[in-house]
Amino acid sequence: MRGIQLSLNQTQRLRLQTALELLETLSSKASLNASVTVADNIPVNYEDGVLKYKPEIGDIIVGRVIEVAPKRWRLEINFIQDAVLMLSSMTLPDGIQRRRTAVDELNMRSIFEEIDVVCAEVRGFQHDGSLHLQARSQKYGKLERGQLLTIPPYLVKRRKQHFHHLEQYGVDLIIGCNGFIWVGEHVEAKDDMVVDDQVNKSEQHSSKSRNWTSLEEQEQTHTPAETRQNICRIANAIRVLSTLGFNVTLDVIMETVYLSSSLNLEIHEMLGAEFCVLVAESEAERRSSSAKRKG
Amino acid sequence: MVGLSAGEKHFIQGGIAQDLRADGRKRLTYRPIYVETGVIPQADGSAKVKMGATEVIASVKLDLARPNPSQPGKGKVSLFVSCSATAGPMFEGRGSEELSTELSVALQRCLLGGKSGAGAAFDPSCLSIVDGKLCWDAYIDGLVVSADGNLLDALGAAIKAALTNTRVPVANVPAGASLDEDPDVDLSSQETTRIDTSGVPVIVTLTKVGRHYIVDATSEEESQMSSAVSVSINKERRICGLTKRGGAGLDPSIILDMISVASHVSEQLMNKLDSEIAAAEADEQDI
Repeated sequence: MRGIQLSLNQTQRLRLQTALELLETLSSKASLNASVTVADNIPVNYEDGVLKYKPEIGDIIVGRVIEVAPKRWRLEINFIQDAVLMLSSMTLPDGIQRRRTAVDELNMRSIFEEIDVVCAEVRGFQHDGSLHLQARSQKYGKLERGQLLTIPPYLVKRRKQHFHHLEQYGVDLIIGCNGFIWVGEHVEAKDDMVVDDQVNKSEQHSSKSRNWTSLEEQEQTHTPAETRQNICRIANAIRVLSTLGFNVTLDVIMETVYLSSSLNLEIHEMLGAEFCVLVAESEAERRSSSAKRKG
Repeated sequence: MVGLSAGEKHFIQGGIAQDLRADGRKRLTYRPIYVETGVIPQADGSAKVKMGATEVIASVKLDLARPNPSQPGKGKVSLFVSCSATAGPMFEGRGSEELSTELSVALQRCLLGGKSGAGAAFDPSCLSIVDGKLCWDAYIDGLVVSADGNLLDALGAAIKAALTNTRVPVANVPAGASLDEDPDVDLSSQETTRIDTSGVPVIVTLTKVGRHYIVDATSEEESQMSSAVSVSINKERRICGLTKRGGAGLDPSIILDMISVASHVSEQLMNKLDSEIAAAEADEQDI
Protein backbone atom coordinates (compact mmCIF):
# COMPACT_ATOMS: atom_id res chain seq x y z
CA MET A 1 0.00 0.00 0.00
CA ARG A 2 1.98 2.95 -1.22
CA GLY A 3 0.53 5.44 1.26
CA ILE A 4 -2.96 5.59 -0.18
CA GLN A 5 -4.41 8.99 0.62
CA LEU A 6 -7.70 7.88 2.13
CA SER A 7 -9.25 8.18 5.51
CA LEU A 8 -10.14 4.58 6.33
CA ASN A 9 -11.33 3.30 9.62
CA GLN A 10 -9.84 0.16 11.14
CA THR A 11 -12.11 -2.41 9.48
CA GLN A 12 -11.78 -0.74 6.08
CA ARG A 13 -8.00 -0.68 6.42
CA LEU A 14 -7.94 -4.40 7.19
CA ARG A 15 -10.23 -5.25 4.30
CA LEU A 16 -8.16 -3.19 1.89
CA GLN A 17 -4.95 -4.79 3.06
CA THR A 18 -6.38 -8.31 2.62
CA ALA A 19 -7.62 -7.50 -0.86
CA LEU A 20 -4.30 -5.99 -1.96
CA GLU A 21 -2.32 -8.89 -0.51
CA LEU A 22 -4.52 -11.34 -2.37
CA LEU A 23 -3.92 -9.45 -5.60
CA GLU A 24 -0.18 -9.51 -5.05
CA THR A 25 -0.08 -13.26 -4.51
CA LEU A 26 -2.23 -13.77 -7.62
CA SER A 27 0.06 -11.70 -9.79
CA SER A 28 3.12 -13.58 -8.59
CA LYS A 29 1.43 -16.92 -9.26
CA ALA A 30 0.73 -15.81 -12.82
CA SER A 31 4.44 -15.80 -13.60
CA LEU A 32 5.07 -19.56 -13.37
CA ASN A 33 8.40 -20.89 -12.20
CA ALA A 34 9.49 -17.46 -11.13
CA SER A 35 9.89 -16.45 -7.55
CA VAL A 36 10.90 -13.06 -6.32
CA THR A 37 12.37 -12.44 -2.93
CA VAL A 38 12.56 -8.88 -1.73
CA ALA A 39 16.15 -8.44 -0.64
CA ASP A 40 16.26 -4.72 -0.10
CA ASN A 41 13.95 -1.73 -0.30
CA ILE A 42 15.36 1.22 -2.22
CA PRO A 43 13.29 4.37 -1.76
CA VAL A 44 12.42 5.78 -5.15
CA ASN A 45 11.21 9.28 -5.76
CA TYR A 46 8.07 8.71 -7.80
CA GLU A 47 8.30 12.12 -9.41
CA ASP A 48 11.48 11.25 -11.29
CA GLY A 49 11.92 9.66 -14.70
CA VAL A 50 11.72 6.13 -13.32
CA LEU A 51 7.96 6.00 -13.66
CA LYS A 52 7.40 8.70 -16.25
CA TYR A 53 5.63 8.25 -19.53
CA LYS A 54 7.77 6.22 -21.99
CA PRO A 55 6.58 7.10 -25.49
CA GLU A 56 6.54 4.72 -28.44
CA ILE A 57 5.68 5.34 -32.07
CA GLY A 58 1.98 4.83 -32.70
CA ASP A 59 0.88 5.72 -29.17
CA ILE A 60 -2.39 7.56 -28.86
CA ILE A 61 -1.99 10.50 -26.52
CA VAL A 62 -4.04 13.39 -25.22
CA GLY A 63 -2.33 16.71 -24.68
CA ARG A 64 -2.93 20.37 -23.98
CA VAL A 65 -1.77 23.13 -26.34
CA ILE A 66 0.62 25.50 -24.60
CA GLU A 67 1.96 27.47 -27.56
CA VAL A 68 1.00 28.32 -31.13
CA ALA A 69 4.33 28.64 -32.97
CA PRO A 70 5.12 29.20 -36.68
CA LYS A 71 3.70 26.21 -38.57
CA ARG A 72 3.33 24.07 -35.42
CA TRP A 73 1.62 23.69 -32.08
CA ARG A 74 3.46 22.80 -28.90
CA LEU A 75 1.61 20.43 -26.56
CA GLU A 76 2.11 19.50 -22.95
CA ILE A 77 1.79 15.74 -22.57
CA ASN A 78 2.99 14.73 -19.10
CA PHE A 79 6.46 14.05 -20.46
CA ILE A 80 9.81 15.69 -19.69
CA GLN A 81 9.63 17.62 -22.95
CA ASP A 82 6.75 19.18 -24.82
CA ALA A 83 5.54 17.52 -27.99
CA VAL A 84 5.25 19.20 -31.37
CA LEU A 85 2.32 18.90 -33.75
CA MET A 86 3.24 20.27 -37.17
CA LEU A 87 0.62 22.08 -39.21
CA SER A 88 1.44 19.70 -42.05
CA SER A 89 0.64 16.70 -39.83
CA MET A 90 -2.84 17.95 -39.14
CA THR A 91 -5.85 17.47 -41.41
CA LEU A 92 -7.20 20.78 -42.55
CA PRO A 93 -10.83 21.61 -41.81
CA ASP A 94 -11.74 21.30 -45.46
CA GLY A 95 -10.22 17.84 -45.63
CA ILE A 96 -8.39 18.46 -48.90
CA GLN A 97 -4.82 17.22 -49.13
CA ARG A 98 -2.85 20.24 -50.25
CA ARG A 99 0.19 22.31 -49.43
CA ARG A 100 -0.24 24.54 -46.41
CA THR A 101 -0.23 28.16 -47.52
CA ALA A 102 0.51 31.31 -45.59
CA VAL A 103 -3.22 31.80 -45.07
CA ASP A 104 -3.39 28.39 -43.38
CA GLU A 105 -0.58 29.45 -41.09
CA LEU A 106 -2.43 32.60 -40.12
CA ASN A 107 -5.57 30.59 -39.42
CA MET A 108 -3.88 28.11 -37.09
CA ARG A 109 -5.74 29.54 -34.12
CA SER A 110 -9.07 28.68 -35.71
CA ILE A 111 -8.04 25.02 -35.50
CA PHE A 112 -6.39 24.86 -32.09
CA GLU A 113 -5.80 27.64 -29.61
CA GLU A 114 -3.79 27.81 -26.39
CA ILE A 115 -5.05 25.52 -23.60
CA ASP A 116 -7.20 23.48 -25.96
CA VAL A 117 -7.25 19.74 -25.30
CA VAL A 118 -6.12 17.73 -28.31
CA CYS A 119 -5.92 14.04 -29.18
CA ALA A 120 -3.11 12.87 -31.47
CA GLU A 121 -0.80 9.99 -32.32
CA VAL A 122 2.96 9.74 -31.85
CA ARG A 123 4.64 9.86 -35.21
CA GLY A 124 8.29 9.83 -34.20
CA PHE A 125 11.05 11.42 -32.21
CA GLN A 126 12.82 14.62 -33.05
CA HIS A 127 16.58 14.84 -32.90
CA ASP A 128 16.47 16.50 -29.47
CA GLY A 129 14.32 13.75 -27.99
CA SER A 130 10.99 15.56 -28.05
CA LEU A 131 7.98 13.96 -29.68
CA HIS A 132 6.54 14.52 -33.10
CA LEU A 133 2.79 14.09 -33.32
CA GLN A 134 0.25 13.67 -36.08
CA ALA A 135 -3.48 14.06 -36.23
CA ARG A 136 -4.26 12.94 -39.74
CA SER A 137 -7.48 11.03 -39.32
CA GLN A 138 -10.88 12.41 -38.39
CA LYS A 139 -10.94 10.76 -35.01
CA TYR A 140 -8.09 12.93 -33.74
CA GLY A 141 -8.45 16.60 -32.98
CA LYS A 142 -9.86 19.00 -30.45
CA LEU A 143 -11.75 17.61 -27.48
CA GLU A 144 -14.57 19.59 -25.97
CA ARG A 145 -17.69 18.87 -23.90
CA GLY A 146 -16.09 16.74 -21.27
CA GLN A 147 -13.40 16.53 -18.65
CA LEU A 148 -9.71 15.64 -18.64
CA LEU A 149 -8.29 13.38 -15.94
CA THR A 150 -4.64 12.84 -15.07
CA ILE A 151 -3.39 9.51 -13.78
CA PRO A 152 0.14 8.10 -13.47
CA PRO A 153 1.23 6.98 -16.97
CA TYR A 154 2.38 3.52 -15.89
CA LEU A 155 -1.23 2.57 -15.13
CA VAL A 156 -2.10 2.68 -18.82
CA LYS A 157 -1.16 -0.44 -20.74
CA ARG A 158 -0.80 -0.39 -24.52
CA ARG A 159 -3.76 -2.04 -26.17
CA LYS A 160 -5.12 -2.33 -29.68
CA GLN A 161 -7.76 0.30 -29.03
CA HIS A 162 -7.59 3.47 -27.03
CA PHE A 163 -10.67 5.19 -28.39
CA HIS A 164 -13.82 3.82 -26.86
CA HIS A 165 -17.26 4.94 -27.89
CA LEU A 166 -19.54 3.71 -25.14
CA GLU A 167 -22.85 3.58 -26.96
CA GLN A 168 -25.09 2.70 -24.08
CA TYR A 169 -23.82 5.75 -22.22
CA GLY A 170 -23.33 8.10 -25.16
CA VAL A 171 -19.82 8.80 -23.92
CA ASP A 172 -16.45 9.01 -25.63
CA LEU A 173 -13.58 7.61 -23.60
CA ILE A 174 -10.01 8.18 -24.80
CA ILE A 175 -7.28 6.52 -22.72
CA GLY A 176 -4.09 8.34 -23.61
CA CYS A 177 -0.87 6.35 -23.14
CA ASN A 178 0.62 9.38 -21.40
CA GLY A 179 -1.80 9.18 -18.49
CA PHE A 180 -4.23 11.84 -19.71
CA ILE A 181 -7.72 10.41 -20.02
CA TRP A 182 -10.59 12.19 -21.72
CA VAL A 183 -14.18 11.44 -20.74
CA GLY A 184 -16.73 13.37 -22.69
CA GLU A 185 -19.96 13.53 -24.57
CA HIS A 186 -19.94 11.56 -27.78
CA VAL A 187 -19.14 13.65 -30.83
CA GLU A 188 -19.66 12.26 -34.31
CA ALA A 189 -16.50 12.33 -36.42
CA LYS A 190 -16.95 15.20 -38.82
CA ASP A 191 -17.38 14.37 -42.50
CA ASP A 192 -15.46 16.22 -45.18
CA MET A 193 -17.10 19.55 -45.73
CA VAL A 194 -17.09 22.21 -48.39
CA VAL A 195 -14.70 25.06 -47.63
CA ASP A 196 -17.41 27.75 -47.43
CA ASP A 197 -19.55 25.83 -44.97
CA GLN A 198 -16.59 25.14 -42.74
CA VAL A 199 -15.47 28.75 -42.77
CA ASN A 200 -18.95 29.90 -41.77
CA LYS A 201 -19.13 27.27 -39.06
CA SER A 202 -15.76 28.16 -37.63
CA GLU A 203 -16.69 31.84 -37.63
CA GLN A 204 -19.91 31.09 -35.75
CA HIS A 205 -18.08 28.82 -33.38
CA SER A 206 -15.38 31.34 -32.57
CA SER A 207 -17.85 34.17 -32.06
CA LYS A 208 -19.91 31.94 -29.79
CA SER A 209 -16.98 30.96 -27.69
CA ARG A 210 -15.79 34.51 -27.36
CA ASN A 211 -18.93 36.31 -26.26
CA TRP A 212 -21.71 34.23 -24.82
CA THR A 213 -24.67 36.53 -25.29
CA SER A 214 -27.03 35.11 -22.72
CA LEU A 215 -27.18 32.39 -20.11
CA GLU A 216 -30.20 30.79 -21.80
CA GLU A 217 -28.23 30.28 -24.99
CA GLN A 218 -25.48 28.58 -23.02
CA GLU A 219 -27.94 26.37 -21.21
CA GLN A 220 -29.42 25.13 -24.46
CA THR A 221 -26.07 23.83 -25.63
CA HIS A 222 -25.20 22.10 -22.36
CA THR A 223 -24.65 18.37 -22.15
CA PRO A 224 -27.88 16.51 -21.40
CA ALA A 225 -28.27 15.46 -17.77
CA GLU A 226 -28.27 11.71 -18.40
CA THR A 227 -25.01 11.81 -20.40
CA ARG A 228 -23.48 14.05 -17.76
CA GLN A 229 -24.28 11.51 -15.06
CA ASN A 230 -22.59 8.79 -17.08
CA ILE A 231 -19.55 10.99 -17.69
CA CYS A 232 -19.23 11.72 -13.96
CA ARG A 233 -19.65 8.08 -13.01
CA ILE A 234 -16.98 6.93 -15.43
CA ALA A 235 -14.64 9.75 -14.36
CA ASN A 236 -15.05 8.82 -10.69
CA ALA A 237 -14.41 5.16 -11.52
CA ILE A 238 -11.11 6.17 -13.14
CA ARG A 239 -10.22 8.32 -10.10
CA VAL A 240 -10.82 5.42 -7.70
CA LEU A 241 -8.75 3.02 -9.82
CA SER A 242 -5.94 5.55 -9.99
CA THR A 243 -5.98 6.00 -6.20
CA LEU A 244 -5.75 2.23 -5.74
CA GLY A 245 -2.96 1.94 -8.31
CA PHE A 246 -4.80 -0.51 -10.56
CA ASN A 247 -4.21 -0.68 -14.31
CA VAL A 248 -6.82 1.40 -16.09
CA THR A 249 -8.37 -0.54 -18.95
CA LEU A 250 -11.85 -0.43 -20.40
CA ASP A 251 -12.92 -3.69 -18.70
CA VAL A 252 -11.91 -2.59 -15.24
CA ILE A 253 -13.56 0.80 -15.69
CA MET A 254 -16.81 -0.81 -16.83
CA GLU A 255 -16.72 -3.29 -13.93
CA THR A 256 -16.33 -0.41 -11.49
CA VAL A 257 -19.18 1.51 -13.10
CA TYR A 258 -21.49 -1.55 -12.94
CA LEU A 259 -20.50 -2.08 -9.32
CA SER A 260 -21.42 1.47 -8.39
CA SER A 261 -24.74 1.41 -10.23
CA SER A 262 -25.65 -1.99 -8.83
CA LEU A 263 -25.04 -0.70 -5.33
CA ASN A 264 -27.18 2.36 -6.15
CA LEU A 265 -24.46 4.65 -4.91
CA GLU A 266 -24.69 8.39 -5.39
CA ILE A 267 -22.03 9.42 -7.87
CA HIS A 268 -20.05 11.49 -5.39
CA GLU A 269 -20.03 8.61 -2.92
CA MET A 270 -17.79 6.75 -5.36
CA LEU A 271 -14.92 8.85 -4.09
CA GLY A 272 -15.47 7.81 -0.48
CA ALA A 273 -13.42 5.28 1.45
CA GLU A 274 -16.07 2.55 1.46
CA PHE A 275 -16.40 2.29 -2.30
CA CYS A 276 -12.62 2.27 -2.70
CA VAL A 277 -12.36 -0.78 -0.46
CA LEU A 278 -15.24 -2.46 -2.33
CA VAL A 279 -13.53 -1.93 -5.68
CA ALA A 280 -10.32 -3.49 -4.35
CA GLU A 281 -12.23 -6.47 -2.99
CA SER A 282 -14.24 -7.04 -6.15
CA GLU A 283 -11.10 -6.82 -8.30
CA ALA A 284 -9.35 -9.37 -6.07
CA GLU A 285 -12.37 -11.66 -6.37
CA ARG A 286 -12.55 -11.27 -10.13
CA ARG A 287 -8.89 -12.10 -10.63
CA SER A 288 -8.88 -15.02 -8.24
CA SER A 289 -11.92 -16.54 -9.96
CA SER A 290 -10.35 -16.11 -13.40
CA ALA A 291 -7.08 -17.60 -12.10
CA LYS A 292 -9.02 -20.61 -10.75
CA ARG A 293 -10.68 -21.08 -14.12
CA LYS A 294 -7.32 -21.13 -15.88
CA GLY A 295 -5.44 -23.22 -13.35
CA MET B 1 -2.37 25.81 -12.34
CA VAL B 2 -2.90 25.10 -16.00
CA GLY B 3 -5.77 26.86 -17.66
CA LEU B 4 -8.94 25.19 -18.88
CA SER B 5 -10.02 25.06 -22.49
CA ALA B 6 -13.29 26.67 -23.53
CA GLY B 7 -14.90 23.24 -23.84
CA GLU B 8 -13.88 22.21 -20.34
CA LYS B 9 -15.06 25.52 -18.88
CA HIS B 10 -18.39 25.05 -20.60
CA PHE B 11 -18.63 21.55 -19.17
CA ILE B 12 -18.00 22.77 -15.64
CA GLN B 13 -20.51 25.61 -15.92
CA GLY B 14 -23.07 23.21 -17.38
CA GLY B 15 -22.52 20.79 -14.54
CA ILE B 16 -23.09 23.45 -11.95
CA ALA B 17 -26.24 24.61 -13.72
CA GLN B 18 -27.55 21.03 -13.81
CA ASP B 19 -26.64 20.31 -10.16
CA LEU B 20 -24.14 17.61 -11.14
CA ARG B 21 -20.54 18.72 -10.76
CA ALA B 22 -17.50 17.13 -12.37
CA ASP B 23 -17.00 14.67 -9.51
CA GLY B 24 -20.69 13.88 -9.17
CA ARG B 25 -21.41 16.15 -6.22
CA LYS B 26 -24.51 18.28 -5.93
CA ARG B 27 -24.12 22.04 -5.57
CA LEU B 28 -24.32 21.98 -1.78
CA THR B 29 -22.36 18.79 -1.09
CA TYR B 30 -18.97 18.89 0.59
CA ARG B 31 -16.11 16.60 -0.35
CA PRO B 32 -15.24 13.91 2.21
CA ILE B 33 -13.64 15.70 5.17
CA TYR B 34 -10.78 14.01 6.98
CA VAL B 35 -9.58 15.32 10.34
CA GLU B 36 -6.50 14.23 12.25
CA THR B 37 -5.45 15.89 15.51
CA GLY B 38 -2.16 16.03 17.33
CA VAL B 39 -0.09 15.93 14.14
CA ILE B 40 2.57 18.28 15.57
CA PRO B 41 3.62 16.88 18.94
CA GLN B 42 5.77 19.91 19.86
CA ALA B 43 2.83 22.28 19.55
CA ASP B 44 0.26 22.69 22.27
CA GLY B 45 -2.51 21.85 19.84
CA SER B 46 -2.56 20.89 16.17
CA ALA B 47 -4.77 19.39 13.51
CA LYS B 48 -4.68 18.41 9.85
CA VAL B 49 -7.76 18.67 7.66
CA LYS B 50 -8.15 17.20 4.18
CA MET B 51 -11.05 18.07 1.87
CA GLY B 52 -10.43 16.13 -1.31
CA ALA B 53 -7.01 17.25 -2.54
CA THR B 54 -6.94 20.36 -0.34
CA GLU B 55 -4.79 19.75 2.73
CA VAL B 56 -4.16 22.25 5.53
CA ILE B 57 -2.49 22.07 8.94
CA ALA B 58 -3.20 24.34 11.91
CA SER B 59 -1.15 24.59 15.08
CA VAL B 60 -1.58 26.43 18.37
CA LYS B 61 1.46 27.43 20.40
CA LEU B 62 1.22 28.99 23.86
CA ASP B 63 3.82 31.34 25.34
CA LEU B 64 3.94 33.08 28.68
CA ALA B 65 3.51 36.82 28.37
CA ARG B 66 2.19 39.95 29.97
CA PRO B 67 -1.45 40.73 29.20
CA ASN B 68 -2.61 43.84 27.42
CA PRO B 69 -3.12 46.65 29.97
CA SER B 70 -6.55 47.38 28.53
CA GLN B 71 -7.63 43.77 29.01
CA PRO B 72 -5.85 42.51 32.11
CA GLY B 73 -7.96 39.40 32.55
CA LYS B 74 -7.49 37.96 29.11
CA GLY B 75 -4.75 36.34 27.08
CA LYS B 76 -3.79 37.51 23.60
CA VAL B 77 -4.48 35.59 20.42
CA SER B 78 -2.80 36.10 17.09
CA LEU B 79 -3.47 34.27 13.87
CA PHE B 80 -1.40 33.92 10.73
CA VAL B 81 -1.62 31.75 7.63
CA SER B 82 1.17 30.82 5.22
CA CYS B 83 1.22 28.73 2.06
CA SER B 84 3.83 26.02 1.67
CA ALA B 85 5.76 25.94 -1.59
CA THR B 86 4.68 22.30 -1.94
CA ALA B 87 1.17 23.51 -2.69
CA GLY B 88 2.19 24.54 -6.17
CA PRO B 89 4.82 26.35 -8.24
CA MET B 90 2.97 29.67 -7.90
CA PHE B 91 3.54 29.53 -4.14
CA GLU B 92 7.31 29.53 -4.35
CA GLY B 93 9.22 32.43 -2.90
CA ARG B 94 6.99 35.46 -2.45
CA GLY B 95 4.23 34.21 -4.69
CA SER B 96 2.02 33.21 -1.82
CA GLU B 97 2.17 36.52 0.07
CA GLU B 98 -1.03 37.96 -1.35
CA LEU B 99 -3.02 34.81 -0.77
CA SER B 100 -1.59 34.34 2.74
CA THR B 101 -2.52 37.89 3.74
CA GLU B 102 -6.00 37.52 2.32
CA LEU B 103 -6.59 34.26 4.19
CA SER B 104 -5.10 35.59 7.43
CA VAL B 105 -7.26 38.72 7.42
CA ALA B 106 -10.43 36.77 6.60
CA LEU B 107 -9.76 34.26 9.39
CA GLN B 108 -8.90 36.98 11.90
CA ARG B 109 -12.15 38.69 11.14
CA CYS B 110 -14.12 35.50 11.56
CA LEU B 111 -12.41 34.09 14.62
CA LEU B 112 -10.80 36.81 16.68
CA GLY B 113 -13.66 39.22 17.24
CA GLY B 114 -13.45 42.96 17.79
CA LYS B 115 -11.09 45.12 19.83
CA SER B 116 -13.14 44.73 22.97
CA GLY B 117 -12.93 40.97 22.62
CA ALA B 118 -16.59 40.60 21.78
CA GLY B 119 -17.49 38.00 19.20
CA ALA B 120 -14.30 36.02 19.55
CA ALA B 121 -14.32 32.31 18.79
CA PHE B 122 -13.41 31.37 22.33
CA ASP B 123 -13.13 33.32 25.55
CA PRO B 124 -9.53 34.50 25.97
CA SER B 125 -9.95 34.79 29.73
CA CYS B 126 -9.28 31.06 29.89
CA LEU B 127 -5.71 31.97 28.92
CA SER B 128 -5.19 34.26 31.89
CA ILE B 129 -2.94 33.05 34.73
CA VAL B 130 -2.61 36.03 37.06
CA ASP B 131 -4.93 38.92 36.43
CA GLY B 132 -3.03 41.85 34.97
CA LYS B 133 0.40 40.25 35.32
CA LEU B 134 0.68 36.93 33.53
CA CYS B 135 -1.18 35.23 30.75
CA TRP B 136 -0.76 32.86 27.83
CA ASP B 137 -0.27 34.25 24.36
CA ALA B 138 -1.83 31.95 21.78
CA TYR B 139 -0.22 31.89 18.36
CA ILE B 140 -2.44 30.15 15.86
CA ASP B 141 -0.63 29.23 12.65
CA GLY B 142 -2.21 27.84 9.52
CA LEU B 143 -0.28 26.15 6.74
CA VAL B 144 -1.63 25.31 3.31
CA VAL B 145 0.08 22.09 2.22
CA SER B 146 -1.91 21.36 -0.91
CA ALA B 147 -4.38 23.69 -2.58
CA ASP B 148 -7.38 22.41 -4.53
CA GLY B 149 -9.91 25.10 -3.74
CA ASN B 150 -11.91 26.07 -0.66
CA LEU B 151 -8.89 26.98 1.46
CA LEU B 152 -10.86 29.20 3.83
CA ASP B 153 -13.31 26.50 4.91
CA ALA B 154 -10.53 23.98 5.38
CA LEU B 155 -8.45 26.41 7.44
CA GLY B 156 -11.47 27.30 9.58
CA ALA B 157 -12.09 23.62 10.25
CA ALA B 158 -8.42 22.96 11.01
CA ILE B 159 -8.22 25.85 13.47
CA LYS B 160 -11.38 24.65 15.21
CA ALA B 161 -9.89 21.15 15.51
CA ALA B 162 -6.52 22.49 16.66
CA LEU B 163 -8.16 24.59 19.38
CA THR B 164 -10.15 21.56 20.55
CA ASN B 165 -6.89 19.60 20.64
CA THR B 166 -5.02 22.30 22.61
CA ARG B 167 -3.93 21.44 26.14
CA VAL B 168 -3.22 24.57 28.18
CA PRO B 169 -0.60 23.76 30.82
CA VAL B 170 -1.58 24.62 34.38
CA ALA B 171 0.88 27.18 35.67
CA ASN B 172 1.55 27.42 39.39
CA VAL B 173 2.85 30.78 40.46
CA PRO B 174 4.33 30.73 44.00
CA ALA B 175 2.39 33.09 46.25
CA GLY B 176 4.03 36.37 47.04
CA ALA B 177 6.48 36.14 44.19
CA SER B 178 7.26 39.44 42.53
CA LEU B 179 5.65 39.45 39.13
CA ASP B 180 7.15 42.65 37.81
CA GLU B 181 10.33 40.91 36.70
CA ASP B 182 10.47 37.43 35.22
CA PRO B 183 8.71 35.25 37.78
CA ASP B 184 9.48 31.65 38.48
CA VAL B 185 6.48 29.95 37.06
CA ASP B 186 6.10 26.31 37.90
CA LEU B 187 5.02 24.34 34.85
CA SER B 188 6.12 20.98 36.10
CA SER B 189 2.65 19.70 36.89
CA GLN B 190 1.39 17.52 34.04
CA GLU B 191 -2.09 18.89 34.38
CA THR B 192 -3.66 20.66 31.47
CA THR B 193 -6.93 22.39 30.86
CA ARG B 194 -8.93 22.52 27.68
CA ILE B 195 -10.29 25.48 25.80
CA ASP B 196 -14.04 25.63 25.41
CA THR B 197 -14.50 25.54 21.65
CA SER B 198 -18.26 25.13 21.54
CA GLY B 199 -18.56 28.71 20.37
CA VAL B 200 -16.03 28.43 17.54
CA PRO B 201 -17.79 29.12 14.25
CA VAL B 202 -17.43 27.20 11.00
CA ILE B 203 -16.73 29.00 7.76
CA VAL B 204 -18.89 28.26 4.73
CA THR B 205 -17.76 29.67 1.39
CA LEU B 206 -20.33 30.01 -1.36
CA THR B 207 -18.89 30.41 -4.84
CA LYS B 208 -21.12 31.94 -7.48
CA VAL B 209 -20.75 30.46 -10.96
CA GLY B 210 -23.25 31.75 -13.48
CA ARG B 211 -26.59 31.88 -11.71
CA HIS B 212 -25.92 29.26 -9.05
CA TYR B 213 -23.92 28.94 -5.85
CA ILE B 214 -21.75 25.97 -4.98
CA VAL B 215 -20.14 24.94 -1.75
CA ASP B 216 -16.59 23.52 -1.47
CA ALA B 217 -15.36 24.48 -4.93
CA THR B 218 -12.31 22.77 -6.41
CA SER B 219 -9.66 25.04 -7.90
CA GLU B 220 -11.02 24.30 -11.39
CA GLU B 221 -14.47 25.47 -10.32
CA GLU B 222 -13.00 28.49 -8.52
CA SER B 223 -11.37 29.59 -11.76
CA GLN B 224 -14.89 29.97 -13.19
CA MET B 225 -16.33 31.97 -10.33
CA SER B 226 -17.70 35.46 -10.64
CA SER B 227 -17.62 36.09 -6.90
CA ALA B 228 -17.47 34.23 -3.60
CA VAL B 229 -18.97 35.00 -0.21
CA SER B 230 -17.54 33.39 2.93
CA VAL B 231 -19.76 33.40 6.00
CA SER B 232 -18.68 32.22 9.41
CA ILE B 233 -21.57 30.93 11.47
CA ASN B 234 -21.62 29.53 15.00
CA LYS B 235 -23.85 26.95 16.68
CA GLU B 236 -26.56 29.49 17.41
CA ARG B 237 -26.80 30.22 13.68
CA ARG B 238 -25.34 33.68 14.25
CA ILE B 239 -23.00 35.29 11.78
CA CYS B 240 -19.54 35.93 13.19
CA GLY B 241 -17.85 37.20 10.05
CA LEU B 242 -18.44 37.90 6.39
CA THR B 243 -16.00 38.22 3.47
CA LYS B 244 -16.65 38.76 -0.20
CA ARG B 245 -14.07 38.00 -2.89
CA GLY B 246 -14.13 38.30 -6.63
CA GLY B 247 -14.46 41.14 -9.08
CA ALA B 248 -18.14 40.94 -9.98
CA GLY B 249 -20.62 43.08 -8.11
CA LEU B 250 -23.54 41.43 -6.34
CA ASP B 251 -27.08 42.59 -5.86
CA PRO B 252 -27.89 42.97 -2.13
CA SER B 253 -30.75 40.48 -2.41
CA ILE B 254 -28.33 37.89 -3.75
CA ILE B 255 -25.98 38.42 -0.83
CA LEU B 256 -28.86 37.92 1.61
CA ASP B 257 -29.86 34.78 -0.26
CA MET B 258 -26.30 33.46 -0.12
CA ILE B 259 -26.15 34.13 3.61
CA SER B 260 -29.32 32.14 4.22
CA VAL B 261 -28.06 29.24 2.07
CA ALA B 262 -24.74 29.32 3.95
CA SER B 263 -26.56 29.32 7.26
CA HIS B 264 -28.53 26.26 6.17
CA VAL B 265 -25.40 24.41 5.03
CA SER B 266 -23.45 25.36 8.15
CA GLU B 267 -25.61 23.19 10.37
CA GLN B 268 -24.65 19.99 8.56
CA LEU B 269 -21.02 21.08 8.34
CA MET B 270 -20.91 21.89 12.05
CA ASN B 271 -22.32 18.48 12.99
CA LYS B 272 -19.99 16.68 10.60
CA LEU B 273 -16.95 18.57 11.88
CA ASP B 274 -17.84 18.04 15.52
CA SER B 275 -18.18 14.30 15.02
CA GLU B 276 -14.96 14.09 12.97
CA ILE B 277 -13.02 16.10 15.56
CA ALA B 278 -14.37 13.95 18.39
CA ALA B 279 -13.41 10.79 16.48
CA ALA B 280 -9.93 12.18 15.77
CA GLU B 281 -9.40 13.07 19.43
CA ALA B 282 -10.55 9.59 20.48
CA ASP B 283 -8.17 8.03 17.94
CA GLU B 284 -5.33 10.13 19.24
CA GLN B 285 -5.92 9.03 22.79
CA ASP B 286 -5.93 5.38 21.74
CA ILE B 287 -2.53 5.66 20.09
